[in-house]
Amino acid sequence: VTLSEGARAGTGRELGMLDSLLSLGGLVLLRDSVEWEGRSLLKALIKKSALCGEQVHILGCEVSEEEFREGFDSDINNRLVYHDFFRDPLNWSKTEEALPGGPLGALRAICKRTDPGPVTIALDSLSWLLLHLPCTTLCQALHAVSHQDSCPGDSSPVGKVSVLGLLHEELHGPGPVGALSSLAQTEVTLGGTKGQASAHILCRRPRQRPTDQTQWFSILPDFSLDLQEGPSVESQPCSDPHIPPVDPTTHLTFNLHLSKKEREARDSLILPFQFSSEKQQALLRPRPGQATSHIFYEPDAYDDLDQEDPDDDLDI
Amino acid sequence: MAAVASCGSASTGSAVATASKSNVTSFQRRGPRASGTNDSGPRLVSIAGTRPSVRNGQLLVSTGLPALDQLLGGGLAIGTVLLIEEDKYNIYSPLLFKCFLAEGIVNGHTLLVASAKEDPANILQELPAPLLDDNSKKEFDEDVYNHKTPESNIKMKIAWRYQLLPKMEIGPVSSRFGHYYDASKRIPQELIEASNWHGFFLPEKVSSTLKVEPCSLTPGYIKLLQFIQNIISEEGFDGSNPQKKQRNVLRIGIQNLGSPLWGDDICCAENVSNSHSLTKFLYVLRGLLRTSLSACIITMPTHLIQNKAIIARVTNLSDIVIGLESFIGSERETNTLYKDYHGLIHIRQIPRLNNLICDESDVKDLAFKLKRKLFTIEVREFLCFSLQS
Repeated sequence: VTLSEGARAGTGRELGMLDSLLSLGGLVLLRDSVEWEGRSLLKALIKKSALCGEQVHILGCEVSEEEFREGFDSDINNRLVYHDFFRDPLNWSKTEEALPGGPLGALRAICKRTDPGPVTIALDSLSWLLLHLPCTTLCQALHAVSHQDSCPGDSSPVGKVSVLGLLHEELHGPGPVGALSSLAQTEVTLGGTKGQASAHILCRRPRQRPTDQTQWFSILPDFSLDLQEGPSVESQPCSDPHIPPVDPTTHLTFNLHLSKKEREARDSLILPFQFSSEKQQALLRPRPGQATSHIFYEPDAYDDLDQEDPDDDLDI
Repeated sequence: MAAVASCGSASTGSAVATASKSNVTSFQRRGPRASGTNDSGPRLVSIAGTRPSVRNGQLLVSTGLPALDQLLGGGLAIGTVLLIEEDKYNIYSPLLFKCFLAEGIVNGHTLLVASAKEDPANILQELPAPLLDDNSKKEFDEDVYNHKTPESNIKMKIAWRYQLLPKMEIGPVSSRFGHYYDASKRIPQELIEASNWHGFFLPEKVSSTLKVEPCSLTPGYIKLLQFIQNIISEEGFDGSNPQKKQRNVLRIGIQNLGSPLWGDDICCAENVSNSHSLTKFLYVLRGLLRTSLSACIITMPTHLIQNKAIIARVTNLSDIVIGLESFIGSERETNTLYKDYHGLIHIRQIPRLNNLICDESDVKDLAFKLKRKLFTIEVREFLCFSLQS
């Protein structure tokens, strides 16, 4: 699958890319902006993975737990394991339910679990973590979490781990965003036009070319994902590949075209630097019938044709 | 620098190292040779997989790609660092990295693989398989035949001088130096098991709670340097332990150096607090390499480094710098001028080792492509076709 741009969401295979985001595992980076917010897509993906029966852990740092759980129905809410770092991020109240080590400690604790099965971890949000933790520590922790399932020979067969991270692009410079996107297996950038949201999905498989696709979607009030066709194609005339190229030789005052006979004559022409055997023979053979020109030379008194000293400068 | 010249004797290498100890003279009587060495002449140091440069006698090893060896003037000199600037999606630079390591396994060199991202054992499992001599000519011809599109069969009539340009791709070389690798097959398991390799996987070695004082190396780099130094001194690559066995070369491969996974934040911010960590690491590494029989390949994600001054310093501290630029995701992918190739290779720096001038090749316009099996580097031929009638 080569890189393709534009709103081509026609075939069923491509429609499944947004659905199958979580099946690849690893880090999925959701990049949103002020205009196109990503928390609703995050909640939609959480709902989908909860309905698939996976364990879902949420590290909530940016919004309160009530606000995050709002909109989910009760059976999904019961499946979500919520780690709250919004209410008391620095653990001042020192309750026993607070997890040691902060958000990264919670991440590592989730990974040390012993029960098998696929796990989805949602980070809300990576921007909050980037602002509170050094970038390198966060990158190392994310790498350790998302690559845990790939080490062979473990005693406990842990399942696949997917990490969904919400990143607000406008808060960070190109450095942290570039570092996180080089770690991510999948990158979803939210955008859209005219009230229609789109997700540009870039999938990096480990040793293959990255594939990308743009998927138009909308989120229904109960946080289920509705995939859609893009806006009408007439609104994008510049991407039409069927415009015939303009022929520059149509309105000229001189003739640039060759007829078939002229083309054959041109192709059979031997160029002057090409030294073929016929040319060699022609040069070697004396040409009959040619008006040969001879040079008549009579040496006069001043000419001294001395072959040993043609320049007359030897002083003997 | 441990430049073992072709006419030096076997004791010269150890003499260089022990010169500081014995202040009398650096010339030593050649001791009794160890049994089992099959040197052809009394004065030649022949390590498998190396050859002296025809220009200055520097001992060279192959990089794993014969076309790249030709561009670098014969190969990679022992004691130097080859830095590869990764392409944006990190697809082609691991291939060069693995060809270097595979060349080490085929020649019987000792390997040291360091990575913060993947386990070195997994990296070794994915090395490409070597093309053996009798098969390689067949494979090579078949690939060249597939490469000849109908357009390239047009004999050039007007731009005929371009037909005389030397082709970058050379025929199969002898099995002594430089092998071809099949990127679609894995190296046989018995070759890996027969080889001597050491792995350094950062998450296993460093606990994440170390405090770093400013202006010093990050803990990951310190551990890696200590590891390399231990291997060099234990296995006698610097001549400190007299080697009973045949002398060998250590090939060091470091992957993704400078990325955040090594604990270095030059990729994360423009004004970093510890911007000299990577440059100090390269300086110490080069010192270790110069005093031992080793060669090093490093891949670095320079497209992520925010501060251009750091990239310039890193380039100056390395010996050979090659940049890979792939066309994926850029507008050049659909450009007809570049349609035969997958990316461009930029040779940014070639060292001047014991020389006033460096060994540059004449062609600077190089492109690479990953065919079904082979990775080839060619001169860009688009100019020739655009001059055709």
